[in-house]
Amino acid sequence: MNSTNIGRRRLLGAGLAMASLPFLGSAPALAQQAGNIRMIWWGGDERARRTNAAIDLFKQANPGVTVESEFMGWDDYWARLATQVAGGNAPDFIQMDYRYMFEYARRGAIRPLDEFLGKELAIADFGQVNLDSCSVDGKLYGGNVGVNAFSVVFDGKAWDEAGVNAPTLGLSWDGFAEQCAAFTSANKRSRVYATADGSCQEGLFEVWLRTQGKALYNPDGTLGYDAADAGRWFAYWTEMRKAKSCVPADTQALYKNSPETSPIVTGSAVTDFAHSNQFESFQKLVQAELSVVGAPVQEGGKPGQYLKPSQMFSVSSTSKDPALAARMINFLVRAPEGARLLGLDRGVPASPEIREAIMPDLSETSRKVVELISSLTPHIGALPPSPPKGAGEINAVQIRISQEVGFEAVSPEQGGASLVDEAAAILKRA
Amino acid sequence: MAACDAINDSETKKGPVPEGWLKRAIQRNGAGYMFLAPWLIGFFCLTLGPALISLYLSFTNFDLLTAPEFVGAQNYVRMATADPKFTAAIKVTLLYVALSVPLKLAFALAIAMVLNRGMRGLPVYRAIFYLPSLLGTSVAIAVLWRQLFASDGLVNAMLAMVGIEGPSWISNPNYSLYTLVVLSVWQFGSPMIIFLAGLRQIPTDMYEAASLDGASPTRQFLRITLPLLSPVIFFNFVIQTIEAFKAFTPAFVISGGSGGPINSTLFYTLYLYQEAFSYFRMGYASALAWVLVIIIAIFTAFSFLTTKYWVHYDD
Repeated sequence: MNSTNIGRRRLLGAGLAMASLPFLGSAPALAQQAGNIRMIWWGGDERARRTNAAIDLFKQANPGVTVESEFMGWDDYWARLATQVAGGNAPDFIQMDYRYMFEYARRGAIRPLDEFLGKELAIADFGQVNLDSCSVDGKLYGGNVGVNAFSVVFDGKAWDEAGVNAPTLGLSWDGFAEQCAAFTSANKRSRVYATADGSCQEGLFEVWLRTQGKALYNPDGTLGYDAADAGRWFAYWTEMRKAKSCVPADTQALYKNSPETSPIVTGSAVTDFAHSNQFESFQKLVQAELSVVGAPVQEGGKPGQYLKPSQMFSVSSTSKDPALAARMINFLVRAPEGARLLGLDRGVPASPEIREAIMPDLSETSRKVVELISSLTPHIGALPPSPPKGAGEINAVQIRISQEVGFEAVSPEQGGASLVDEAAAILKRA
Repeated sequence: MAACDAINDSETKKGPVPEGWLKRAIQRNGAGYMFLAPWLIGFFCLTLGPALISLYLSFTNFDLLTAPEFVGAQNYVRMATADPKFTAAIKVTLLYVALSVPLKLAFALAIAMVLNRGMRGLPVYRAIFYLPSLLGTSVAIAVLWRQLFASDGLVNAMLAMVGIEGPSWISNPNYSLYTLVVLSVWQFGSPMIIFLAGLRQIPTDMYEAASLDGASPTRQFLRITLPLLSPVIFFNFVIQTIEAFKAFTPAFVISGGSGGPINSTLFYTLYLYQEAFSYFRMGYASALAWVLVIIIAIFTAFSFLTTKYWVHYDD
């Protein structure tokens, strides 16, 4: 997207708005409805189509309200948002991620929304667990747009053709490795593997740790696993690589944390791992019909998965009209007409009523995601503690070390040790 | 027109200073400063100002959201003593500079010499060869490069024809940097144009005299072309070295911003970008930026010191 153009135009708009401020001051009080919301969010084209339609409907329902919306990809988003906040030019309406919510809330960049609860923001039926997941230090900082879970995405037909059972909910890690090995021996296509290499996936690593009673991070912000745990994780995938069950390292290195670069989309694997709200994007990119199930489990282990508040809508602490922004959040996450337009693109809505309301409109693909969340719900564990500062950097370290192990520059044990060392150093510095 | 008249007036009048001289001078210089104003404002507000602020920030911890916290030289100390990623980025960048600059210059000079023979349709060839350097820094070309060197890309398809199964060039840490070097060499257009202009300056009678004396083409190249072209070579060398140190786009696009696989394409500027915009350590990123300025300044100064041994300005 040509974000610089938007930026320039908006800058001009802001300048004009500033210039006209003195005149506004002397004008008679405007109607209650009038107001302006600047909105920023991340996402791709499909999300843009949905979001813009919902914004248009909100403007129709609230004549006199203007919404200036700006969007970009995940990587650019945080740089741009931080720059705008630092420049005293924060947008009113901010799409927030669980990981960043704590930093923004504790630094006072976004405001508590408790005063609007039950009024502009009627989201009590999201349930206390969900509201808590969007709270920092006991205050609500966002309206959750949807929940998601980590999942396994696969091409069922390819597994059928190989005559091997496809992954199912409740499959153990060992069982998964065996089924992938069986796929490999039955497979006739060259350069096609049973699964992507999951060793770089933080979400999958987390589920794996949790089934063993560990975690990525402890509540006090320290690392929730040790070098031996990480070593065993890398060793599991090294075995997979040796058995040719998962894609080789140079194929996995092409994966850039987006559905477009996934081995299942580029045709080198028939299984990959993703957050459930990405499932529709995966399906749009491949011809074959995809299925989605929960991640593998540990026999006799603890529940590894949890429902993550995938994204929330927050309000800037400098917003001039926070009540209006709260009203817009409510329209997008709790009003059936708005929520229906957003669909499941940002996760499965937390409100049971909204879920019911949008069910009839859902495509076959979207239904699979709702079914996944419903089937996982009895097996989920508690929401993990908030990730500490530096968690994003540790994620990057895990990706790099998974490549070092994959290209056999280091052994799985050495990889596990350096992941823990480097993570500890990052946490100490942050 | 009034300004022009004023200049003409002051230049034609000689002798004692006429009355209203000051007014005229202001009028005269004022017009100049007016014309300079866009550049001056841009320089002070958008270049010098931010540069000085970044110098200050390099001595702080600054995460954009909270006020900068002064930490003295801590950022510089960390860089020198406790940052393996910084060392990795320096190594990658130096290797890239050391490989790409000489190769690019040699390639540019070779093509320029071919084009200098005065072949038919020269302007067309010149345009075609120049084209890559217009496109090369663009995102589209970096994306194209990804396709070209992917495991099922064009390069491997051609290798397959001669029975070689090529690796995935861009995602293999052993080769990924070299694909970026090739991309850089491919953009030889602008040094080539400058070489071409330089070659045109060499008097042809020197070559005629040399061939009458029985000097071989190689000898002519070594004894006439290279020495007389040395100021141009020097110019291109300095410019291309600075460019190579500052390279960012290809690595950013080809590695998806990660500098991977395994930091093999972690250019210095990419590391700086990650520190600033992925991890919000603006203070440390500012310090990195100033160290890059110093590195480039030292390289450039060193290059100038060597000129007396190999650059000939005599004519």
